[in-house]
Amino acid sequence: MVEKIKIIVNEDKCYLCGGCAGVCPSLAIKVSSSKWEFFQDKCISCKICINACPVGALDFEPLEG
Amino acid sequence: MTEIMKYDVVVVGAGIAGPIVARNVAREGYSVLLVDKKPAIGAPKQCAEGINISIFERYGIPYDKRFINREIYGARIYSPSGYELEIRYKKVSGVILERKVFDKMLAFYAARSGADVLSRTEVEDVIRENGKIIGVKAKHEGEPVEIYGDIIVAADGVESTIARKAGINTYAPPHEFDSAYEYEMLIDGFDPELIHLWFGNDVAPRGYVWVFPKDEDRANVGIGINSDNPKTAKYYLDKWLKENNIPSKKLLEINVGVVPVGGFLKELAKENVVVVGDAARQVNPMHGGGMAEAMKAGTIASKWIVKALEEENLELLKNYTTEWWEKDGKRLERVLKIRKAVERLTDEDLDVFIEVLSGTDAEKIAEGNYTEVIKVLLKHPKVLMSARRISLLKELL
Repeated sequence: MVEKIKIIVNEDKCYLCGGCAGVCPSLAIKVSSSKWEFFQDKCISCKICINACPVGALDFEPLEG
Repeated sequence: MTEIMKYDVVVVGAGIAGPIVARNVAREGYSVLLVDKKPAIGAPKQCAEGINISIFERYGIPYDKRFINREIYGARIYSPSGYELEIRYKKVSGVILERKVFDKMLAFYAARSGADVLSRTEVEDVIRENGKIIGVKAKHEGEPVEIYGDIIVAADGVESTIARKAGINTYAPPHEFDSAYEYEMLIDGFDPELIHLWFGNDVAPRGYVWVFPKDEDRANVGIGINSDNPKTAKYYLDKWLKENNIPSKKLLEINVGVVPVGGFLKELAKENVVVVGDAARQVNPMHGGGMAEAMKAGTIASKWIVKALEEENLELLKNYTTEWWEKDGKRLERVLKIRKAVERLTDEDLDVFIEVLSGTDAEKIAEGNYTEVIKVLLKHPKVLMSARRISLLKELL
């Protein structure tokens, strides 16, 4: 079974480039011109966004249960 | 209170494809709104800013020194062990743009052709009526706006929110994206008449490092790597700078982004929604350049948008998908196949190929004529010594 995770952003590192939203297969990330948002209910825990970030601004935390 | 607007065509995203569509459609007398989420169109850039000289005449763009930073006469390619391959033309072959000016000028040309342009307008969702998309919900300077349009153009970049909300399948596997990271910086020792590209599996896995000169001692220095790589693009670029003893404490800009380099969208138009540019992954998968492809796609899309409006028949928008796939899709699928083969090359292969190819061969590669070059390689003794190299090259013929 896939471990359920929460994607977290290091806002100091993030350039709001939108790449993570672009590679997310489930629209779980929205990047506007001023903020990065994560939608837990849509996340499928694939971690594609974490690898794709050009600067390593994303990480994850395991979710309990 | 929500402001209501109504246009024939609403274009979301003012990168390259969006303003081309807006300009072409507005010129034909239709009402067009071009919106972009950024407060300043073109900034920040997500681009190395290099483009072929031919685009100016082909797409009716003025050759304006305000956005042409430098004229380029060719390219030099470096193999992992330091073999070099140079193409140098007698005439200008390309330019390094100033995207912050260029993008804004493209939007300006759209505005001058009759389109309305609203920066700092973030589209958040589509508006549906009886299941059909009739417009978009946006915020302009934080205030809600509902923009109704007969045709919606998703030119909203790699995030492609509008295309996805319209039910167009934009999914591509992570390997079909590159992560890119770039410094605009002071850098010495590179011929400023050429662009410079370094290849190697330790240098830039699946991609390359580039130096695109702007001044004699200023350049865009960037890298693209496969986006499913466990290490970041920044890691690889900083490593390359360090290994080459290039000082990295004069950084004027840092630009980052993800580039779609394959798995092109099958469906480019659905009902009244049209997808163009990075949103449709219309990027050359070999070098990751998307500006010329966006212009081509925007030109085809705008032709069919105008016909659909003239004949009041949205079914005609499907012809954009057909024409793009016939003209460019097939070509880019072939380029994608070649890139996938190039991905399998070892550093030793790259050394051999770059060592044995001539400037004339490199010109053919630059023109997209890969077959002739593959034939040249297949005759070379250093290639013939390896059954694996022969098999890899024969796959591409």
